[in-house]
Amino acid sequence: MLMLTLIFIITGLLLAAAQTTVFMPNPLWPAAPDLYYILVAYAAYQFRLCQSIAILLPLSCVMDVYSGTVTGIYPAVCCCGFFLLRFMAIKMPVRKSLYQLPLAAVSYLFVSWLEVLLLELLIPEAGITWSWPPMLFRASLVYLFAFPLFRGFDFLYSSLNRGILPSRPGHTEAGNQFRQERRLP
Amino acid sequence: MQQRTNHRKRQKDSGGGFRSLLLSGAGLTVLLIFLVVLFGSQEFGPVYKLLLDAAGPLQKVAAQVKAPFQAMKEQYLDLLTVREEKERLWQELQKCRTAAYANRGAVALNARLRKLLEFKESSGLPTVTARIVGKDPSLWFRSVIIDRGLGDGVDKGMPVVTGEGIVGQVYASSSNYAKVLLAIAPSSAIDVLLQDSRVRGILKGTGGSTFKLEYILKTVVVEKGDHVVTAGYGGLFPPGLPVGIVSEVTKNRRGMFLEIEVVPAVDFSTLENLLVIEQKKKEFKQQTETSTP
Repeated sequence: MLMLTLIFIITGLLLAAAQTTVFMPNPLWPAAPDLYYILVAYAAYQFRLCQSIAILLPLSCVMDVYSGTVTGIYPAVCCCGFFLLRFMAIKMPVRKSLYQLPLAAVSYLFVSWLEVLLLELLIPEAGITWSWPPMLFRASLVYLFAFPLFRGFDFLYSSLNRGILPSRPGHTEAGNQFRQERRLP
Repeated sequence: MQQRTNHRKRQKDSGGGFRSLLLSGAGLTVLLIFLVVLFGSQEFGPVYKLLLDAAGPLQKVAAQVKAPFQAMKEQYLDLLTVREEKERLWQELQKCRTAAYANRGAVALNARLRKLLEFKESSGLPTVTARIVGKDPSLWFRSVIIDRGLGDGVDKGMPVVTGEGIVGQVYASSSNYAKVLLAIAPSSAIDVLLQDSRVRGILKGTGGSTFKLEYILKTVVVEKGDHVVTAGYGGLFPPGLPVGIVSEVTKNRRGMFLEIEVVPAVDFSTLENLLVIEQKKKEFKQQTETSTP
């Protein structure tokens, strides 16, 4: 379990590095996908709370270092996104594969809006304003990149858990798929 | 009967001797001719010339007949090696293209570094060259990470420039790296002057590829193409550094100020190498004060 957490921490850090280098060819590039948020969503769907904290805390701190001028904004975004997705995943009446990716994109949009709202209220001199077209584009990028990344995370998770956990997450489970799934505390 | 047989034998013996004598004579003659030809005057005699004229056309026809066959043979052999040749040439082309691409990159890098060097030499300010290693992916904060930090003398508040003009300022630094807030960031504000009219304003980032020039009164004549430079009043940037060019001037009915859009002098989409000016705010302020009469 420790190894799994450690591997996902490293994965998160690599995603943050890739997001700020490979996917940002120049400082004005508008199409950089928020890869860190995809890991936030995956953690909300798959990991226990303490494991998720262990994975997301270093990731959010590194994102805070790499990006932005308001410290603490990324841990707040990660925290909000994580709990929102976890709550919605518990309450969702349909099976995982139907809601996972769209929900990640919608929650990204909502959390970003909340972030802008708070920044506008608390730090008006930062000059941050909400704009729908780029935000919708970014949310669609999250949705697009979530598919391959979720598959990759699933592979990593199942490879590391083979022989430890009885079921493989991300796969269709037997029985009634329209019931509420029991979540780990 | 016996006598007749002996006579015939004798006749036969004498005839064979004559023939061998004749053959030996002919052989000696031929040998003599060869010797004369070989060691004689070495002239191409009339017989040879006659023979050459007679045999020449034969050779000519044979050569003409041979030529297409030879060409066909060569073509066939070429065809056998053409695939290998094509692959070799293709690889060579790829190598040449890679080299040409690298050369173009090197030329562009050279031009950029030359501009940085020119600025470094002309400004006379102590500078540190830095390279961008990471870019801010968010839409609202425009910053970059550079590969120089406190260990190289790069500290918070230091101005960052290129050969074209200002880029931003150091926002935070660790021992080996520093974070630079770009001038186009919405939270950035720089004290500037319109170069010709010497009217002062505040240049703000928009988060996009342009600046907004604020607090310029409507009474001031500002035209498209006017140059904007750093004022140096705040002491953050050295005075007179190019910032951008006015691209649009809007005079609204309401309000006291003009709405001015400025295109940055620096192309932020191709930023790579930067210069950090190793002077603190206080030092620029002192410089400005001493230079002001």
